[in-house]
Amino acid sequence: MPELRRHWAAAALFGAAAVAPLLTRDGFFLDSIVLILMWGALSAAWNVAGGYAGQVSIGHASFFGIGAYAAALVTTRLQQSPFVGMVLGVVVSVGAGAVIGYLSNRLKGPYFALSTIAFSQVLLIVASRWRGLTSGSEGIPVPFRPGLWTLGLGHLAWLYVALVVAVLYYLIEVWLERSRFGYQLAGVREDEDAAEALGIASRRAKVIAVTLSAALTSIVGTLWAQYIGFVDPFYVFSVPLSVRFALNSIIGGVGTAIGPYLGSIFITSLETYLRATFSGVKTGFTGIYLILYGAVLILVVRFAPEGITGIAARVRARSLRARA
Amino acid sequence: MSRRLLALVVAALSVVAALAAVTHGQSGEYKIGVLEPLTGPLAFEGKRHLEGYEVMRDLINERGGVMGKRLAFAVGDATDPTAAASEANRLITREGVKIITGTYSSTLCGAASEAASRQNVIYWETSCVDPRFAQRGLKNVFRTEIDGTGFGWYNVEFIAKHLSHRFNMKPNQLKIAFLSEDSSYGQGVTEAARKRAKADFGMQEVAAEYYAFASTNDFTPIIVKLKQLNPDIVHHIARGNDAVLFWRQSREQSFNFKALVHAGATGYGSPDFGKALGADGNGPFVLAEPGPGFKVEGLKPDAQKLEHDFTDAIKKRTGAEPYASHRLAGPGLWLLKVVLDQAKSDDLDKFRGAVMSLDIPVGSLINGWGVKFAENGQNANERVQHYMLQWQNGQMVTVWPEEFTTARAKWIPLGAWDSRK
Amino acid sequence: MDPARRLGLPQIDVFAQLVVSTVLLGGIYALIAVGLTLIFGIMRVVNFAHGEFLMLGMYLAFWSWSLWRVDPYVVLPAAAVVFFVLGLVVYLLVMKGVIHASHNVQIFTTVGLATLLENVALVLWTGDFRFVRPWHSSVVLRLGATAFNLSQVVAFAIALALTAGLFAFMKWTHTGRVMRATAQDRDAATLMGIDTDRIYRLTFAIGIAAVGVAGVLVSPLYSVYPQAGLQFVLLAYVVVVLGGLGDMVGALLGSLIVAGVEVVGSYFFGTAWKEILYFLLFIGVLVFRPAGLFGQRGAENLGV
Repeated sequence: MPELRRHWAAAALFGAAAVAPLLTRDGFFLDSIVLILMWGALSAAWNVAGGYAGQVSIGHASFFGIGAYAAALVTTRLQQSPFVGMVLGVVVSVGAGAVIGYLSNRLKGPYFALSTIAFSQVLLIVASRWRGLTSGSEGIPVPFRPGLWTLGLGHLAWLYVALVVAVLYYLIEVWLERSRFGYQLAGVREDEDAAEALGIASRRAKVIAVTLSAALTSIVGTLWAQYIGFVDPFYVFSVPLSVRFALNSIIGGVGTAIGPYLGSIFITSLETYLRATFSGVKTGFTGIYLILYGAVLILVVRFAPEGITGIAARVRARSLRARA
Repeated sequence: MSRRLLALVVAALSVVAALAAVTHGQSGEYKIGVLEPLTGPLAFEGKRHLEGYEVMRDLINERGGVMGKRLAFAVGDATDPTAAASEANRLITREGVKIITGTYSSTLCGAASEAASRQNVIYWETSCVDPRFAQRGLKNVFRTEIDGTGFGWYNVEFIAKHLSHRFNMKPNQLKIAFLSEDSSYGQGVTEAARKRAKADFGMQEVAAEYYAFASTNDFTPIIVKLKQLNPDIVHHIARGNDAVLFWRQSREQSFNFKALVHAGATGYGSPDFGKALGADGNGPFVLAEPGPGFKVEGLKPDAQKLEHDFTDAIKKRTGAEPYASHRLAGPGLWLLKVVLDQAKSDDLDKFRGAVMSLDIPVGSLINGWGVKFAENGQNANERVQHYMLQWQNGQMVTVWPEEFTTARAKWIPLGAWDSRK
Repeated sequence: MDPARRLGLPQIDVFAQLVVSTVLLGGIYALIAVGLTLIFGIMRVVNFAHGEFLMLGMYLAFWSWSLWRVDPYVVLPAAAVVFFVLGLVVYLLVMKGVIHASHNVQIFTTVGLATLLENVALVLWTGDFRFVRPWHSSVVLRLGATAFNLSQVVAFAIALALTAGLFAFMKWTHTGRVMRATAQDRDAATLMGIDTDRIYRLTFAIGIAAVGVAGVLVSPLYSVYPQAGLQFVLLAYVVVVLGGLGDMVGALLGSLIVAGVEVVGSYFFGTAWKEILYFLLFIGVLVFRPAGLFGQRGAENLGV
């Protein structure tokens, strides 16, 4: 089917991740794949609001943190399964997402981005100071209880959990590209006034997109908390984390389904590689990947705003023209 | 189509290449993993922690190494909790270590020890103070340093048992104000102190304020408020320049109190405080690792020699006296050597057996500690001797417990600002 | 309940001290915001990297102090020049290409720039917290029952001078008027023969020079470390949005308001929650009066 052929890249990537454990049992390699998939999924979630709806937020860590804290609090205080936490996280994130969605209707471009940063910082302060609820700055260690229901899994199982989520988010993005709602979002993204003139309920569409994005982010936040085992408010609500979700998508190709995952492969591998090479050699050099980060972001945004997928498409178009 | 495929293959190969390298240790070497925050916000402390480890490693190797082999490190950079877990995995899988040590900070040791536990690797913590660290029922996790509640506990102990009667007041008559930077360290210590002050001694808490230390340039609103509340004791956990700022502004505002007590190697516990204020900084008490006045003679002879060697090596390497991070890492590593030499193996059961069998009296390690581990892997608070230091003439002098030191505490109560010479 | 509330309304000497603290803090915030309001107001670019230039200014002061014992106030004129040139360079290399691009592109360009600068500082100078302690950072001045610090007063004085200078420049010089014209309507300005590229270049350079100078001035007052930029950039945006885009006087007034919220908030609610107050203020202003308290209604949408 010609339609499925468009997804060959995704199939190849996800397929490779799926068979990797058959080729190696190396814990570090598998762990890195889990991280690539998780960061990819988080970026895909961001992409729903930032790429498809054009609402660039630099505060998505708000939802990530909500999901992480929901998991941690539910498992430690209520002794319930993290899946309950996941649902709770989604509920709260939808609420928070609605607030951000409201802001997206009142504020344009850069003002909106600023307000999302402010929002995430408010959550950070609340989480780090409200000791009664969150143990404050000390964070929350997430207990590891073996079992699927408690998400106490080994590396292998985590890989497949992350893979399922990543594929699911990819499919959601594809659905957005092809569905009526997705076309409406595209209209809103390109020219909101024109879209309104055409009868699209642009304000509602934006709120739905942002809320969906928030819920998706929160779910992975819950998974992350269970995987890593420690929730630190200064990390889960941090601005660099929000930037990272957006960055992966931009570098990979914002507004494309595969973009966030390509970006994640590139950035996460680079980060892991530099850390592995430079730790202990010259401390501080491990931070070089962040300098590259910044430089690549500037260059990509200026010269290749469509990211890796854009470059690939251009190369392909040129080669097709050359053949003609 | 083929170009795109090429791009993808290159991407995939780069991933594999990046992650595929494996390093093998040399024979005659015993390698352990050392996980520290070397980049990111905790880097300046993580770096010192690592230095302490490296210096002690060289001293250990001069004294026969570990289990007869040379001790070597595989270092990982734990920038944040995700990195901590990822690097722990790398050290275990790629470097093949069976023991991981580190990680300096409470927010990192949780993630790092989790990652280690899932692969059944021994985790030997020498610094983080999170009280919940040892409460997870993990058999492979051990900590040589006491938990943060211990610091708060000691501070209040000192105030109640050694200061209050010198003001001619009973502990429950004391008015105490708590001020603290808001990281996990500050909150942990302060909350423990608050709890003990109230529950064990009935002290009257007049204020409890947290602040973000790096973005605070003016304590005046707080000081003005505290002046009116008139505390006898200020319990201030500071992290950096905030100590200097608060002390100076208290003087500017003529905010008088009978004593200020802090805990830890940051803020008032940093040599920087003395450098900034000189004799103007006289007076604050700091719960920390021993400083000048410390009777090295109070230590057992082997510990004395090791202490001298350690201090000299740190001075040679960094050009300054050891910071507390050095003094936590060094002895922690030495203790690991002691355990491994006794167990003669890094097999978890034998290792654990050796750990539990240790019963070393106070004064045996180079910082004056003793060792006795509880079932949950925590070195017991009673064996971990902490010291109260006081700033006297630009130096932090050990003033308590008195059997360990030649110096004595001065200016109790503090009196007017210009009268402390 | 915070003990201050038990104390009730402050007495006159306490009140006076709080006012003094507010004014001085407001001066510092104004210093930081003045460059931003210029860039934001004229170029309509949200420069997320603004705080990193402040951080670089702090490091300039630190290294001058630590290596050569040069007092920050002596470094000031040199800093103005250095950062002016830096602003030009950054404009040519980074900003020029995206000045006409979409907002998202601009946002990510400056976010990328911020990440890059912050981590260059981290790799080169490590994450250690540094301090600049010239003789004047411990000098206490007294006025009646209030006490304050010489470095704060100098920072305040220079903030006033800078704001006044830029205000005068914008209002009465030809270039200043040209800049304002470009801000109001870029296309009309071009039609009038204004070289908008030159204007933007100049604006950016002046703005960066201003924030570099601010960095040098606040270095005795705060810890110097690579991540210092972030906390100040958010604050600067609160001030700029409150005061109205491109409005110098608005920036000064906005700074005083934010400082007041912070000082009063610290006193009555405890320092733990004071930051929330001005973030909430920020979101509130953005939602209800995005032109700022002193700007014209709708002005924020021009060119955005």
